[in-house]
Parts: sequence; C-alpha cells; structure tokens
Amino acid sequence: MNAITPDKKIDMILGDPELRRIGIVGVPPLRIIRLLHRRGVEILDLDAMLVVEDMESTVALLPRVYCAILRTVVLNAMHLELDAIILDVGPGKCDGALHVAAVLEESLPIPIIRTINSDSEPFGTPFCRAEMDMTEKFLAITERVKSPTILGNPPPPCLPTAGFWGVPPRDFSILDLFPDTTHVYGWTRCMENKTPADTGLEAHFNPEIPTVFFAQSFCAKTALARLLAKKHPHALYLDIDVNTGSSAKAKIQAFLELSGVER
Amino acid sequence: MILADFGTSYSKFLDLDDPDPRPYIKATKELKRDLKVDLATGHNGKRFSNVYVNELIALARGGEELIDDDRYLLLDCGSRDIKYIRYRDGKLQDMGWNAECGASMGFTIELLENYYGLDFNRLQVPAKTFSVTCGVLGISNIFDAITSGIDEAEAVASFVKGIAINAYRFAGSPDKIYLSGGLCDNRLFVESLPCEVIPLGRFVLLKGLERTQRLSSVNLPGR
Repeated sequence: MNAITPDKKIDMILGDPELRRIGIVGVPPLRIIRLLHRRGVEILDLDAMLVVEDMESTVALLPRVYCAILRTVVLNAMHLELDAIILDVGPGKCDGALHVAAVLEESLPIPIIRTINSDSEPFGTPFCRAEMDMTEKFLAITERVKSPTILGNPPPPCLPTAGFWGVPPRDFSILDLFPDTTHVYGWTRCMENKTPADTGLEAHFNPEIPTVFFAQSFCAKTALARLLAKKHPHALYLDIDVNTGSSAKAKIQAFLELSGVER
Repeated sequence: MILADFGTSYSKFLDLDDPDPRPYIKATKELKRDLKVDLATGHNGKRFSNVYVNELIALARGGEELIDDDRYLLLDCGSRDIKYIRYRDGKLQDMGWNAECGASMGFTIELLENYYGLDFNRLQVPAKTFSVTCGVLGISNIFDAITSGIDEAEAVASFVKGIAINAYRFAGSPDKIYLSGGLCDNRLFVESLPCEVIPLGRFVLLKGLERTQRLSSVNLPGR
C-alpha cells in the first residue's frame, strides 16, 4: 500500500490498448501526460466538479470532515467510468492524495497509479497574469493541466489591482467577486507553470496589491496561506469548505471594496 | 430616503427626508412583507431593499464615521452573529464574520433574560466563566449549574460572560474594543469583556449606510 508505481508498471498499464479514459488527480508528470496524448486517451481532471451527485455518498469511503477537493475526487471516481486513475501523491499535491489513492485502490476495480511530479521545466504563467474574467481564467488554467504543450499565443500580462493566492477552489463562485485584473498566485500558478512542487513559486506574492489568501478547509495548505497572509501587508486569509457561504463572500467583497479595488 | 439595518431580531431605520432624522427600531418579526427601503444592510436586508450594502462594509463605514482614531477594533455583536473590523493607520487591516453559529449570541441572551426574569443591567460579573464553544452546550452548562445548587442568575451570568469572552477572542483579544449592536445596552455583557470597551450603540451600521450614501459608490434610486 502507498508505494509509488514504478515507471515500467506505469508504461505497461498505460500501454494497454483497451485504455480509453483516465482520471488524473493533481498534476501528473509531463512524461505521463505526453504518453496519454500520444495514445489518444481521454483525460478527466478529477479535482474538478465533473458529476452532479450528492457529496454525502463519499461518506462511505472518506470522513465527512475532509478536504472538499479530495472528496470531489472520490465522488468523481465513484460515478465515472474510468480505466485507470493517476494521482500525484508527492509534494506537488498532498499527503491526502496519497491516502485517497489507498482508498480508491480498495474500492475500485481499476489500476491506481501513484506518481511524484518533480518536473522543474517552467511552462510560464500567462493566464495567472492576464486581464480576464476570473472564472474563465481558472477554467483555462485547470484545462491546461491536460495539455503537454506550451501555450501558443498567450494573453499579455496586465497591471494587477488585486491578488488571489491559493489552489483552484472547489466552488468557483467566489471568483465572481474579483476584478479581471486580479493576478493569481500560489499553487494555481505552479499548476499553470507545470511545476506543482515548486515551493518557491508557491510562496511568491506581490506585496503591492491587496491579496486574498485562500485555502480549502482541512487542507494542509491552510498553514501556508495563514503564514503568508501574516507576512503580506494587505491580506485577507480565508478558508472555505465545500460551498462558499454568504459570510465568506461578504468578507471578500468588503476586503476588496474597502481596499479601494474596483470591479 | 429611508435607510435600514434589518437584523435578525430588530430592524433599525433612518429617514433622511425627515427634517430632524433620528433612528428608530422595530421588531423584525413585525415588519410588513412588502416593505421596501432605499438602502439596506443586515441579515434580512436583501428582502426589503433593492440596494443592499454588505454588513461588513456597513460596519466599516460606520466605524470610519464614528471613531476618531486611525487604529482601532470595532466589534459588532448581533442576535445571531459577530463580526469585526480592524483598522491600522486608517486602513483596513483585518476582519472577521462568524455567521455560522447563531446559538450563542444576542438572541439567546435575550431569551435567557426573559425566561429567567432577569435584568442583566443589575447582575454583577461572576467569577466563574462557562466555556461556551456552542450555544446549545452552553445552555446545558446553565442547567447543570442550577442542578448543582448554583443560583439561576449566577449561572446565566456565567454563560453571558462565556459568550463575551468568546467574542473577545474571536476579535483577536484586543486591548480596546469599540462595541456595536444591541448588546451595548447589556451592562453584564459589556463588563464581562476583559478589556477597555467603548459602546457605540446599535446604530453603527445605519451610520455606515449614511456614509455609503454620501460616498455614493452605489447608484441609489431617487437620487
């Protein structure tokens, strides 16, 4: 249990001609994404909300008080027809993913592949710095996780008026509150850069702009989010569970408005 | 132009068209369902107005209007929630809003005062503090204390003190609190806060709406 899957075994599983549809968790190594592209395998990002099912159904496999992203992974895995699942279980994702891999292995009749992504070749972060609707920005970034190529014709960077630090939230509705000129930092930036374990890039922020430091409740990154929020001269720390409550939205709205950020 | 702060238990109004505008209060449960005001905040604000200002913004603007300082903490204790705004060097530094557990705030305090027939302005701050992490469990502490022979008034006072300590900690244990909300009139609650307290009364959010209206950052009807 919990052993990293050897490259030979990965190649064998992914070389199966019957393989059609695969789920990924976190950002798998580029080598694997390239391999899946060559094979024409459909990739589904299980960190995203892909099914309309009751989150309570995951309680059979996971504690109710657990990271909402990983609960979503399990929910997707329970309800989608997949031929295999690849999880980054290293520092580019989290320990939670390591344990979720064990849970999925016990409960699903498909191969569960554990990898550690230590890729360090930067692909750039154009969407994180672009002037763009925030929901579209995050959709573009998360969609890019499935691509093995550098973005052609990237959007130009804009002058930032606000900052969002953190992982892509499970509930994208909080993104509506930010202006298009918000720059994105934290793990989301590492994700776009295809260097998910780059802790230096993850800890980077811009002290000149009001920044919301976001983490999913019950995620280990809440500690880093709070630490960085304390260091930042104009920050709001926020952790949110499955859905965003009205008080969390009010905090973001008040923080941005009282900081003079215009939408 | 009518401004209103629609709270869970009480709603506060200010008619700016009145030659001598003075705020007044109505019980929220007695409001007509079709009531509409020009600018509103509060838990029920969206129901009764087309232009809504979120409560944290109204609180912050109220603080800017009423507090002659550039470094302060303003805590609003309502019927079902608590929220605070911290300013440093005249700028927003931090904020918080605990809206998830309404069991342990003003609504419960008022219920207990009425149920036991107490006057919180006459009770002394007790030595004992109940740990009130949850309103329902906190009330169990009252029942247990009474069963063990402690006077009802003292038990309830220990509960109120526990709520005050919770609010103080939620606000970051400051040296000084500017207090907003109906609990400003509750001497037991105010004196249970273990720091300097400056009560600003229950119309701080209305003051915030006045300031918002003057700043005219929203497109108000009829202006």
